[in-house]
Amino acid sequence: MSSEAEGARPEQQSCGGRAPILTTHALTKQFGTLRAVDGLDMEVCKGDIFGFLGPNGAGKTTVIRLVLGLIHPTSGYAEVCGHRVPGQLQDALRHVGGFVDDPTFYPLMSARRNLRLLGSMTGPVSEERIDEVLEIVALSDRAEDRVGGFSHGMKQRLGIAQALLHSPELIVLDEPTSGLDPRGMKDVRELIRELGAAGTTVFLSSHLLHEVEQVCTRAVILNRGRIVVQGPVSELRPQNEAVKVLTGDQGRAAEVLRDQFGAGGVIEDESFLVVQADEAAVPEMIRRLVAGDIEVRAVVPAPEQGLEDFFLELTGADAAGEPQRRKRRAGLARLLPGGRR
Amino acid sequence: MSVVDPAAKAGSASPAGAVRPSTAGPSHGSTAAGMRGHAWGALRREWIKLLFQRRSYLIWGGAFLIPFLISLALYLAKSDPHGGEGPLFFERITSNGMFVTLASLSALIPFLLPMAAAMVAGYMIAGEAELGTLRIVLLRPTRRGSFLLAKWTMAMVYLAVGFAIMIAGGLLFGGIFFGLHPMITLSGSTVGVGQGLGLIGLSCLYALAAMACIVSLSLFFSTLTDSSLTALIATIVIYIVITVLIQFSYFDWLRPWMFPHYLLEFTNFFRDPIHWRPILKGLGVFALWSGVLTFAAYLVFRRKDVLS
Repeated sequence: MSSEAEGARPEQQSCGGRAPILTTHALTKQFGTLRAVDGLDMEVCKGDIFGFLGPNGAGKTTVIRLVLGLIHPTSGYAEVCGHRVPGQLQDALRHVGGFVDDPTFYPLMSARRNLRLLGSMTGPVSEERIDEVLEIVALSDRAEDRVGGFSHGMKQRLGIAQALLHSPELIVLDEPTSGLDPRGMKDVRELIRELGAAGTTVFLSSHLLHEVEQVCTRAVILNRGRIVVQGPVSELRPQNEAVKVLTGDQGRAAEVLRDQFGAGGVIEDESFLVVQADEAAVPEMIRRLVAGDIEVRAVVPAPEQGLEDFFLELTGADAAGEPQRRKRRAGLARLLPGGRR
Repeated sequence: MSVVDPAAKAGSASPAGAVRPSTAGPSHGSTAAGMRGHAWGALRREWIKLLFQRRSYLIWGGAFLIPFLISLALYLAKSDPHGGEGPLFFERITSNGMFVTLASLSALIPFLLPMAAAMVAGYMIAGEAELGTLRIVLLRPTRRGSFLLAKWTMAMVYLAVGFAIMIAGGLLFGGIFFGLHPMITLSGSTVGVGQGLGLIGLSCLYALAAMACIVSLSLFFSTLTDSSLTALIATIVIYIVITVLIQFSYFDWLRPWMFPHYLLEFTNFFRDPIHWRPILKGLGVFALWSGVLTFAAYLVFRRKDVLS
C-alpha cells in the first residue's frame, strides 16, 4: 500500500505478472481554475475488482469520463485494454462496458429496444443475448415496458445490463448501487463478485467504504483529484498493532513503558495507556511492569482504526467538515425553543 | 451462457452463478469486424430515435394539416368576391388543387419550416445531452464525426418526410376541394399534371436544400449547449436577424451571401423556360452555409467535453 499521507507520492502499483488493463499516465484535467484531476498515475490489473473511492467532489467521475473519452485531458493520457485514450478511443471502447453517473435511456422505448439500440452501436446483438442480460439483472418481466416508467433502481440494473451486452473485458461502474434498496445492493455486489470470478475486470467507483471492502480486491482512494492511497484492499485498513494497558499506577507505568518502547510509543488515553506494540512484546512489557512493582490490571488489544476513520483521515473530510458541523449545531440551537436567549 | 436461479426470477438481480460474461463468444456480437459501426446502422438508429419522439409526429401532423386548412379556408371563401390576398400561388388554388402544395410551401417556408428544422436539429445533440443519453451513447465505439453526420442526415430525412407528407396532403385536399388540372405557369404557359408534379417535387427539394442551412446552424448550436431549447432559440434569432438585415438597402452588399434571400427562388421552376440561374445560385449559397456550419459543428463536437 502506498500513501501520500505517509509523505511520499503514491507509487505506480505493479500488476505482478498480470497484464494491466487500465492505466493512467499523469492524467490531468483542468476546468478553468479548478484542477479536477491532478497528474493521476493509476494501474488496474486484469482480473481486478478495483475500487475507486473518494468523497464527493474528489474527481472520481471526472477520471471515469477521461478514461472513457467523454472528456479530453488537459495533459496526460490513459491506456485502456492496450489502446491509448483519447487517441485510439474507439478501439478501447470495443472492450469496455459501463456507465457514468446515473445510467439514462430513451424513456419512450422499452428496455429491450434500448438494449437493442445501444448494443447495435458496438456490433450485432442477438435477442438471446438481450434476454440473457435482462435475466441477469432480473428485468426479464419488464423487458417490454417503457423505461420512462422505471424506478431509479431498475434503471441502474438496466445500466448494468447494457454494460454486459457485448461481454466486455473491462466494466466501469459509477456508483452502481446508488439508489438501490438493500436487497438490490446485495444482488449487484454479488453480480460484481461473479463478474470478477469469471475473469472480467471491474472498475467500481463508490463512496461506500464497506462496499469496496466487501467486493474489491484492490482500490485507490482519491481526494481533490489526486491519489492519496492505492493498493490491495486488505492493506487499505491500517495495521493497528497497539495494546491498551491499565495499571495501578499509570504514571510510573508510562515511564517504564517509554523506556521499553520510546516516548512516542506510549500515549495516555483517558484512563488507559495505549502502547504501540505487537502481541509478541506483551510478555516482556508485563514482566517489566511487575518487576517495577506496578500492579497490572488489564492488557487488551486497542480497537483497530476503521476504514471509515482512515478514509476521513486521508481525505481530510473530517477536519474540513468540523466548522460546517459547528455552524449547523449553532443554527439548530437557534431554532430550538429558547435557542435565541 | 448464463444460468439463472429461481431467486432471479423472483425479482432480484444476479444470483450466484448467474453470469460468466467474459466467456461469451462472437455470437454475442463482440467480434472486431462485427463491432465496426456501419453508416446504415447509425442512420437506422437515429431514425428509430426520431420515431420514438412525440414531437416528430406533431410536426408531421402539421405538415398534413396545413394543406387541409388552406384548402378548406379557400373553398369556404370561394364565393367571397372580396377574398383577401395571400401568399404566392394562393389566388390560383381555387381553379386548380395542384397549387395547394405550392401555396403551403410558400406559407411555411419563411418561418414554420425553419422553426421545424431548427427544432429537430437543435435536439439532435443538445437534446441527447439534456436527456443524459449522450454520455451512454458515446461510451459505444462510435466516431463523433460519423455520429454527427448521422444526426445531420437524419434531420434532413425527417424534413424530407415532412415535405412528402405536405405534398401528399396538398394533392389529396387540393384534389378533393378543387380538382387536379394541368398547371398554368407564372409565364402563362401550361404544363400537364405529370410535369406539374415533377415541378412541385423539384420545388420541395429546393426548399429542403434551403432548410439544410437551418439544420446545420441549429446542429452547430446544439453542439455548443446542453439545452435543445437554447439551440432552437439561437438558430431562430440568427435567422430572423439575417432576414431583417437583408431588408435594408444598406446591407445590399451582404444580401447575395445570405441564404434567406434565396428561399423563394423555387418559384423559378414555374417559369417557362425555368430560370436556372437564381436557383443554382441559391443552391450554391445553401451548400456553402451548410458545409461551413456543419464543419464548425464537427470541430466543436470533436473536442466537446460531455459533462451532462
